[in-house]
Amino acid sequence: MSHDHDHDGHHHPVAKSPLELRTEALEALLAAKGLVSAEAIDAVVSYYEHDVGPQNGARVVARAWSDPAYRTRLLADGTAAVQELGFTGFELNTLVVVENTPLVHNVIVCTLCSCYPWPVLGLPPTWYKSAPYRARVVAEPRAVLREFGLELAPEVELRVWDSTAEVRYLVLPERPARTDGWAEEELARLVVRDSMIGTAKAMSP
Amino acid sequence: MHGFGGVVAPGGAEPYHESWELRVFALWAVTAAEGLGAGSGRVLREQMPPEEYLRASYYERWQWSNEQRLLARGTIADGEVDAWVERLGRGESPPGYADAGQSARVLDAVRTATRELASTDSVTFPVGAPVRVRRMHPAGHTRCPRYVRGVAGVVEAVRGTYPLPDDGPRRGTVEPVYAVSFRSEDVFGPTDEPAWTVVLDLHESYLEAA
Repeated sequence: MSHDHDHDGHHHPVAKSPLELRTEALEALLAAKGLVSAEAIDAVVSYYEHDVGPQNGARVVARAWSDPAYRTRLLADGTAAVQELGFTGFELNTLVVVENTPLVHNVIVCTLCSCYPWPVLGLPPTWYKSAPYRARVVAEPRAVLREFGLELAPEVELRVWDSTAEVRYLVLPERPARTDGWAEEELARLVVRDSMIGTAKAMSP
Repeated sequence: MHGFGGVVAPGGAEPYHESWELRVFALWAVTAAEGLGAGSGRVLREQMPPEEYLRASYYERWQWSNEQRLLARGTIADGEVDAWVERLGRGESPPGYADAGQSARVLDAVRTATRELASTDSVTFPVGAPVRVRRMHPAGHTRCPRYVRGVAGVVEAVRGTYPLPDDGPRRGTVEPVYAVSFRSEDVFGPTDEPAWTVVLDLHESYLEAA
C-alpha cells in the first residue's frame, strides 16, 4: 500500500489514520456478512481511475468543434449527444451544455454540495468541492476566475450556473485560434478539465 | 457564508488524495448498486451535526453517510463498525468474501444509470416569465439555496419534471423544474465587479409569479 514508505531498504509501516481504518472496518464488516466483495470495490476504483475522466469530455468538445451538426445536437440535448459517444452512468442525469463565445463566458458550480457530470469529467477536483469555491464563485465570480489566472474583459457577459437540481452542466469552451484542419484527437489534447468547468480556457496550440 | 480564503490551493486539482478516499466512494457505489442502503446520502450528509460537517473532509462525510444508509436499511447494526475497527486494530485479518458476479453487476449499474427529467407541456411559468423565489425556511433537505430566496428572476428554460427533493428521495410530488436567471445586483446588491448572471434550476414549489 502507499503507506509503506521504503526509504533505505527497510519498511517502516506508517500507522493508518482513523478514517482509513474505519473504511477498512466497514469493508470487513460487509465482507463478513457476505454482502460486498473486495473485487467489486476494486472494479469501481479501477473504473474511475482509468475509464472515466476529463478525457471523455475532451472528446465531446473536440467532436463539437469538428462537426457542426454534432455541436447543434450537443447544445440541444447534451444527455443524448454524449451518449452517442458512449458516455453515460452515475451522475450524468440531465446534461445541459453551455457554449462559451468571445462575448459570453460560462462557469459551473454546485453551491449546495458538489453536483458534477461524472461520466464526462470524472470525479470533481478538491477545489470544486471546497467551501471557498462554492460560496465565492456566485458572489464574486471575476475575482475567483482571476485566482485561476483567467481575466475576463468587462464587456464579456459572465453566466454562473449553480447546479441545484437534477441537471448537470458542461461548458463547451471556445475553439483556440490556429487549429484549422486539426484532427479531433489533436484538438482533444487542448481541452483541459477546467475549460469544461469554465475556470480556464482551452489551451492554445 | 463569508470569510472563506482562496480557492486555488496546492493539491486542490486532485479529486482525492489518499487511496482510502476512493474506496469510500467505491463502497458507496457497490452498496447503492446492490440495494444495501436506504435514503439519500446527500440528504443524510446535511444532517451531520454542523460543527462536524464543517470540520469533516469531503470523503469523511461520505463515509459517515455510507454508514447511515446501511444502518437505515438494517444491513448493519449500531456498534458493528466499531467492533471491526477494534479487531483490525488488534491486527486481525479482514475476512475474505467472493461473489463472482458482483463486479459485473455493479459496473453495469455505474455505467448505465441515468435519471433524466421527464419532458412536460404543462407549465405554470413559460420561458420569459418573471418569477420570484419564495421566502421559506424548510426544516429538512431542500434544493433551493438560501441566497436566492425572495429574489426575482426570469424563466430562461423549462428543464422538464422531477420529484420535489424536499419530500424525500424520489417520492416527492412530480413537478416542473425551471432554469431561472438572476441579475447579480438583484441577488448581491451593487459590487465592484461588472454585472453577471446566476442561473439556477428551481422546482415550481420554490417559485411564485413576480
